[in-house]
Amino acid sequence: MNVECTLEVNGSSTTLQVAPSARLIDVLREDLGLTGTKEGCGNGECGSCTVLLDGRPVNACLLVALEVEGRAVTTIEGLLGPGGKLSHVQQAFVETGGIQCGFCTPGMIMSATALLEATPAPSDAEIRDALVGNLCRCTGYAQIIESVRAAAELIGPGSGGETPR
Amino acid sequence: MTPFDYHRPETLAEAFRIAGAIPGARYVAGGTDMMVRIRSGRERPGALISLGRIDTLSRIELGSVTQIGARTTIGQVLEHPELTAAYPLLALAARPFASVQVRNLATVGGNVCNASPAADMAPVLLALDARVEIEGPQGTREVPLDAFFKGPGQTDLAPREVLTSIVLEPPRPEARSCFLRRSRVGMDIALTSVAVHFQLAGNRLTRPRVAAGAVAPCPLRLRAVENLLEGRAVDAALLDEAARLAEGEIAPITDIRASASYRRRLTSTLVRRAITAACEESR
Amino acid sequence: MSRHRHIGKARPRPDAADKAAGRTLYINDLVRPGMLHGKVKFSEHAHARIVRIDTSRAARLPGVRAVVTAYDTPEIRIGFLNDNFALKRGKVRQFRDEVAAVAAIDPDIAAEAVDLIDVEYEPLPGVFSLDEAMAEGAPLVHEMDARGNPLTTNELSLRYGHESGDLAVAERASAHVVEGRFSTQLMQQSCLGTAGCIAELDMSGNLSMVARTQIPFLAQRDFMRALEALGLPGRNCRVIVPTLGGAFGTGLDTHAYEYIAIVLAHRTNRPVKILYDREEEFANLSPRQSAEVEIAQGCDREGRLTFRRVRVRQDNGAYASWGATFPTVMLLPVTSLYRVPNVSFDARLVYTNNTYCQAMRGYGNPEVTWPIESNLDELAEAASIDPYELRMRNCNEPGETTPMGLQVTTCGLKECMEATAAKLDWGAERRARRGVGMASLIHVGGSGRIYKSDGGGVIMKFDDFGQINVSYGGVEMGQGLHSALSLTVAEALGVSPDKITINPTDTGTCPWDVGTHASRGAFIACNAALAAAEKARAQIFAAAEEVFPRLARQNLERYRTEHPDYRVPAFDVATAAKADRFELTDGQIVVSGAPDEPWLKVDLDRLLRAIHFRGSRGEVITTAAFYEPQSELPDWRKGVGNMSATYAYGAQGAEVEVDEETGEVRIVRMVAAHDVGKVLNPQTLAGQAYGGLAQGVGYALYEEVRTEQGRILNPSFTDYKIPTTHEMGFPVHLEFIETDDPAGPFGAKGVGEPGLVPTAPAIANAIYDAVGVRIRDLPITPEKVLRALDARRAVNARKQTSTP
Repeated sequence: MNVECTLEVNGSSTTLQVAPSARLIDVLREDLGLTGTKEGCGNGECGSCTVLLDGRPVNACLLVALEVEGRAVTTIEGLLGPGGKLSHVQQAFVETGGIQCGFCTPGMIMSATALLEATPAPSDAEIRDALVGNLCRCTGYAQIIESVRAAAELIGPGSGGETPR
Repeated sequence: MTPFDYHRPETLAEAFRIAGAIPGARYVAGGTDMMVRIRSGRERPGALISLGRIDTLSRIELGSVTQIGARTTIGQVLEHPELTAAYPLLALAARPFASVQVRNLATVGGNVCNASPAADMAPVLLALDARVEIEGPQGTREVPLDAFFKGPGQTDLAPREVLTSIVLEPPRPEARSCFLRRSRVGMDIALTSVAVHFQLAGNRLTRPRVAAGAVAPCPLRLRAVENLLEGRAVDAALLDEAARLAEGEIAPITDIRASASYRRRLTSTLVRRAITAACEESR
Repeated sequence: MSRHRHIGKARPRPDAADKAAGRTLYINDLVRPGMLHGKVKFSEHAHARIVRIDTSRAARLPGVRAVVTAYDTPEIRIGFLNDNFALKRGKVRQFRDEVAAVAAIDPDIAAEAVDLIDVEYEPLPGVFSLDEAMAEGAPLVHEMDARGNPLTTNELSLRYGHESGDLAVAERASAHVVEGRFSTQLMQQSCLGTAGCIAELDMSGNLSMVARTQIPFLAQRDFMRALEALGLPGRNCRVIVPTLGGAFGTGLDTHAYEYIAIVLAHRTNRPVKILYDREEEFANLSPRQSAEVEIAQGCDREGRLTFRRVRVRQDNGAYASWGATFPTVMLLPVTSLYRVPNVSFDARLVYTNNTYCQAMRGYGNPEVTWPIESNLDELAEAASIDPYELRMRNCNEPGETTPMGLQVTTCGLKECMEATAAKLDWGAERRARRGVGMASLIHVGGSGRIYKSDGGGVIMKFDDFGQINVSYGGVEMGQGLHSALSLTVAEALGVSPDKITINPTDTGTCPWDVGTHASRGAFIACNAALAAAEKARAQIFAAAEEVFPRLARQNLERYRTEHPDYRVPAFDVATAAKADRFELTDGQIVVSGAPDEPWLKVDLDRLLRAIHFRGSRGEVITTAAFYEPQSELPDWRKGVGNMSATYAYGAQGAEVEVDEETGEVRIVRMVAAHDVGKVLNPQTLAGQAYGGLAQGVGYALYEEVRTEQGRILNPSFTDYKIPTTHEMGFPVHLEFIETDDPAGPFGAKGVGEPGLVPTAPAIANAIYDAVGVRIRDLPITPEKVLRALDARRAVNARKQTSTP
């Protein structure tokens, strides 16, 4: 028996009928068409499904969609600026070679975005800590870490970071 | 995934009522463990009762005693400077806890209630002499944490009862502590973890607490080690003896992650190192 | 200054922005109208007779559209020895055997239906190790071969070997000989995107198959055989490769689930998707094969290698896939890594009731480079020669022909080893419990011939707007093939890479290619693209003889209106406009030797339109080229043949610190030096090197598919651990040696696989250097290190007590 659920995703509010046990990832991908959030394991191990909940990264595969009612969800699609411009973090990943097969990329970028919001000039150790829950099999992480550093530079000091809507 | 019904009560009373009305209903906090168990088929709850809307469960209060609401996430512990300054052990355990994403969902209460032998917050809470506050339809009670764990996945909670908060004594003066944890890779279930907490009077240890995780059916205090350390000054012989006693107090298993004998060795090494590091910690 | 415009310069990959925006669609994201979801019922035994399958409860479940078993579908044989079946009949031989499948309107119903299928088994005794499988009277995994001939042993008929020189003589003449036994583990490819496919048949029985494959054209052939089995002979099959979330070898064979999707699509007349979840991916795909290796190497007093003897046994699992051909690549390092005059190699493969194995990056090479390079350090110690020095004394050189018959054209191994040693401060004093180690590699660098054609084709289509669409039949799986290809085309045609689109791989639109393996993607594709570009230039220049003068004069007229004072230089465009004088540069066509005047430059798009719109002489520019590398298909039993057009070399070094109380190994830093021929795109190249190294670190220290009586014990990321940002937190120094290979596009060699080949022995050698213990079986867990340290301490203690 489906129930009504109002979700605030990427700044807009949508009311839809969901199964009570529907996971946030299912609702994002299947009901809202936001397929940028990827399911890599379903167990919160790989981080491919990372979205921001009130600005903090969480695994969308571990969340019941109903649980996030009344809270702000940001997905990779929500990072694009006006006119579909890539965010600084997205741009840095593109330019610094932080992307190979791309399956982990949205999750990586969400984690990096949250990190830089909280810590505008992170150390490498802080970057690694922030991304330990995002597995990547292609890159060996080196260019991902570089991408996050590059993003911090792009955002620059005192800009107030990348505020996801 | 087997479908389930999902309830979001706003008060504990309502939670108790739902729990009483639906056979097999389970409480859920962060869900990081429950959702994995449901997905794997290990858990088929009659319904889930989310504790997410019960605001009283999320408060952190420092006072004559410290109360950490059970629904406080691991991430919120780390973001609470007064709490982590008062109890550095909490931050030491919370920082390597799974991943940022999981820390933002997983709760202190959930970690304790799962009663996993490897529960990452358990050793430090044991070393801090934590008690847990439990509320049920019949009222409220408080239990020392080490009496709360009954076995892997088993706790002192009666049906319908909810663990509402973790209660800590005020921080001790001259307290020293250390938490060491080992796992195969960065984000992983612990192979073993050791927490120590004591006061230094001169060079003598008082009220020592030593706890270990992932090396017995429940996270446990190593009481023989504690008894040994009480009132003693640390030297090499004492550390050797502590390490030897620790090996005798734990009952690790062999699993996919490591053998029992390796866990034993690792635990005794970590006990030795944690005591040493806590003594050398400058304040 | 580089003479290249684009080659050698860092440039983001063409697909990066869409991937960063989350807009790229993977198999997970693809849906078709009316699509059903397929789900496979796997065996519950490693070896058992199927007594009865009852599908009635599943079939009755609302939402289920089809339930199939081997008993109600035509037999579809799969695998290159035809020893496997899409659905199993009679008996199961491994836990992952497919006994039934369903198609339903949603994945949850499909999963529920699979649980409702009752299978009754009669368990059979199984064989789960090489020794069990090879024992006298062992239960047989296969009672007969694909032709119906009875089998009497579990050993596969495939044999690989090599003999050169006189081993016995060489061994006797050696000053030092060291023997050892080494083993490697099952490793899972761990693509972040799980496997899946969508099968769809049209009303004529033509199949469209969206598949995670690295071999679209070989898969096409395989799937057409399935159509034939389904009573659809002669029907067409189109294989479409979606964006892949990694592949690493998983896509080198076709899989039972793909055939099952075809069967379900045929049965239901609806598109059917099968998508594995992570646990299915771990439990039901074929990991990299394990190996047991016996090795002996010898050297003379000066440290020159005298012989190498390698004996390999491999647990093939229950069926033969490409894992059974790993020895074809093992031959490379066994016969040709360092100069070694006398070589003996033999590899045997055995069926067991374990999971059957497949390809993964490196393909047999790491399995033997591990013992060769570990054992070489032991030999250096026996000979009292520094391990680096020993390697340098035996270093391969250009111009060499190796015992296997490999023709070494270019070889940067010496430079790679020098760079590695220099960056590691080889020979410097180090803190206690720290040590350094190194290891080298040879791999195919100009594709690897394992099939009668080792080539690939490119089609290049120019449109009226100067956009160039390139079709190639190989597969971009994240490695950067499309980046290399677009830079190559841009360079060859003098246009911006922005003008180039690499089409999705589709057997319906792309020319044939043998598949993306053996580090061959960029090597083959770029060589084919260079040939296609040359044809395009010839076609454009020939047509430009007619149209260029007219366009230039139009330019001039306009220019003179804008610049009335302009003095026209004396230059006869009509005479100069000859095909052999044209050049394409910066998106314009120019005449070489012409004055540098703007009106003498014609934009390519305008030129293309003029070539197109000229009545009956109009033409559109589309060219195709097929590139077949110069190499030989080796004789595998003799282990002889020049299998690649060129060879890639490299060396890696590690500095590690070992905790003697816990056995933990911490990598302090690593160096990876690779002979890449020529750097095409430094950014994507670095990605391949870093990524390969991380997989090498996983192989060395963390990763292992664990099994017990054929059952996989760790089918999830919870317990199969790939390196995280924490494990890869050490600095990595990359060094690329450019040897400018004559066979390579712009001189480049294939670079996809080498990154993980020497990592494990480099680390193991560093561990030995640090604390004096040698681990011989992978992965090197803290527990193994501690056990070895304990054993050494016990020996030392005995020595001390026995010394008076």
